[in-house]
Amino acid sequence: MTMANRKLIVGYLYPDIMSGYGDRGNVATIVRRCGWRGITAEVWELRLGDPVVADEVDLLMLGHGGEFHQRLIAADLADVKAPGICEAVAQGAALLAVGAGYELLGRFYQPSKGVELPGAGLFDAWTIQHGDDLATASYSIGEARAGRAIGDLLVRWGDELLVGFENHSAKTYLGPTAQALGEVILGQGNNGDGGEGVRLGCAVGTYLRGPCLPRNPVLADFLIRGALLRRYRDCELKALPDELEHAAHDTAVNRLRESAGGISPARRRIPSKRYMRQRHRVYS
Amino acid sequence: MAPLGSGPGGGAEGSAIARGRCVARPAAAGRRALAVTVGKAARGTIRRLGRGSGSALPGRAALAVDARLLAALAAEISRGAVLVTGTNGKGTTCRMLAGMMRASGLRPLLNREGSNQPAGLASTLLAHATASGRLPADGQAIGVFEVDEGSLGEILEQVKPVAAVFTNIFRGQMDRYLELDYLVRRLERGLLGLPADATLVLNADDPRLAYLGAELTNPRVWYGLDDLGHRRSGVDHTSDFPRCPRCAGELRYGSVFYAHLGHWECGGCGLARPAPQVRAVQADVTGPGSSRLAVAAPGTEAVLEVPLPGLYNVYNALAAAAAATACQLPSGALTAVDQVTGGCLRMEQVSVDGRDVYLALAKNCSGFTEVLRAVLGDGQPGHLMLGLNDRARQQEPDISWIWDVDFESLRGLVPSAVLSGNRASDLAVRLKYARWSGRGGQTDVAVEPDPVRAFRLAMSRAPEGQPVWVVSTDLVLGELREWLRRRGHVGKIWAR
Repeated sequence: MTMANRKLIVGYLYPDIMSGYGDRGNVATIVRRCGWRGITAEVWELRLGDPVVADEVDLLMLGHGGEFHQRLIAADLADVKAPGICEAVAQGAALLAVGAGYELLGRFYQPSKGVELPGAGLFDAWTIQHGDDLATASYSIGEARAGRAIGDLLVRWGDELLVGFENHSAKTYLGPTAQALGEVILGQGNNGDGGEGVRLGCAVGTYLRGPCLPRNPVLADFLIRGALLRRYRDCELKALPDELEHAAHDTAVNRLRESAGGISPARRRIPSKRYMRQRHRVYS
Repeated sequence: MAPLGSGPGGGAEGSAIARGRCVARPAAAGRRALAVTVGKAARGTIRRLGRGSGSALPGRAALAVDARLLAALAAEISRGAVLVTGTNGKGTTCRMLAGMMRASGLRPLLNREGSNQPAGLASTLLAHATASGRLPADGQAIGVFEVDEGSLGEILEQVKPVAAVFTNIFRGQMDRYLELDYLVRRLERGLLGLPADATLVLNADDPRLAYLGAELTNPRVWYGLDDLGHRRSGVDHTSDFPRCPRCAGELRYGSVFYAHLGHWECGGCGLARPAPQVRAVQADVTGPGSSRLAVAAPGTEAVLEVPLPGLYNVYNALAAAAAATACQLPSGALTAVDQVTGGCLRMEQVSVDGRDVYLALAKNCSGFTEVLRAVLGDGQPGHLMLGLNDRARQQEPDISWIWDVDFESLRGLVPSAVLSGNRASDLAVRLKYARWSGRGGQTDVAVEPDPVRAFRLAMSRAPEGQPVWVVSTDLVLGELREWLRRRGHVGKIWAR
């Protein structure tokens, strides 16, 4: 079977509510990178009330929103969509959840005030908001920033580097059966314990924003491979000319190296320019 | 927000503060005079050095001497002050409103564009103050102050306005204001400091703004667009408030003009767009850089010629007209909007080597989208330079909003685009995924991080006689404008 006949279904969860951080960029990246390979990626918008039918979707995507948006979707996610999401991932479907979306795919989310929000229970993880709820907080921007992980986030993912931006005050803790996506080189990640995100099969939860896929095409292709493998039992993926994507990725890493400054320990942990040039040659 | 090009000149501030602190606790009036003296000295030093705009520094130095200086000076403005805040259009709305006030015989005092935090306002007022630390008596003086949307509360502690004007609330600077919910909450908390008789001037088409400070009993003037010819199909991608601000129900739109601005209604609780008292009955685009709108306000109708491009300037003109109504200016004053000029970097026209160049600042998703729509709205091809920078040292690296800018619908209208700034490579990826470039793309895209070299490249790529449009975030434009200034093409920012 040639690629040209292949079609993947991308389930875009709550596109109208959870797209607060350029999350459409992640969806566009999947659609284009499939299209350039002759694979049709059809995007299904799954809104409040729409169930997830496990057999139908190959890749699920859930973006970011504020706590207001989290409250809006939590019950629907846990009751209406969770069974389909968990079943699809168990069947091998790929998934990307970012920021607030990642937080809600764990077992629960405990806000600073009020009752906890139910999670979808996909990941063996939970999230606790240690600071005040921003929407009701009375403190200044400086005080609000102080309790928050906000800034660049650089993660080692196997042999790869993922680069993005984080902005969250809640901390996510992984249970014994969960596996972190990668190891933090710079930034906070899940909760400051050195781990970032979570991975379960081809399902990825992460605090990486930016959006993360355009600048980390290797992660985008990981998700596409997962989706292909689940649908067609074959995940051969043609390499794409990714010079622009690599340039954006390297610009972000170089910028971090410069701002880390001098001979600080953080700087020494950031791979060199030469290393990155060689790496791109290998992978492109 | 840091004022444009405010980097250098810090030494002047430091020495001024040091001088202020050498003096042992003067009495209140003396302290105020001293603060003004210190601020004026700082201002003079910065100007003599001719460095940057530095417009917040004198105010910062003066406030370090007398923290209540702003309150004291603002209270002396005989006709009070109007505050204008929101995400986009604050500065332009202020200039339009000031024009209407001048036409009514008032003498408005404006702060410099972008210098919109307490220190910026203090800089403005101390420049007008006498050596004794007082404003000269002027029965026709009125303040028109652009206020940073994150600083409204702080400013309301010192400045008690006769009206507070809100333009719109869009997602922007989320690395600075953390979450949109937080920003809105800050605005609402800030509004608790609003005097009970001050008029709230609100954009009825912005569902979040229309419901702002719902518990306040202040008089309100709503403004909005009634010309449905400008509606777009479906909800815009850039919508930041898809949900009802009261009950979180789904908002239904009869018409969307841009982002989440439109004729809306909540499907849950029935909250709906308030009927605006000041409305644009008809808005016609009369050229690439101008429009004409028929405005109906209580007791009057007027045709306004707006010499600035785009639907966003129609909204700015409406906001100014509504503020004028709130201030009870004579009805003939509204037409003075035709005298407004583009602000510094607000579609600022410059002639370089016989070619028209337009400089447009765009620093968030809806701003960037609407500026591009205005530039390319006539369907003519446009040669662009696009700039994108982050602020690494201030830990504001978020540029994710470029993925919500509607490049997709403008595909095919741009023969060449030069991308600049320290995040130019991210823009290049964005344009590739919007299919401007790459396979099947119709735009010749080049990346040149250095703003001046990028500008030269953009000039060389555009055919003779065709304008070059520069749409960019602040640092790239600031650097380019400084280069143009050194070559004599534009005046100093602070001199305007």
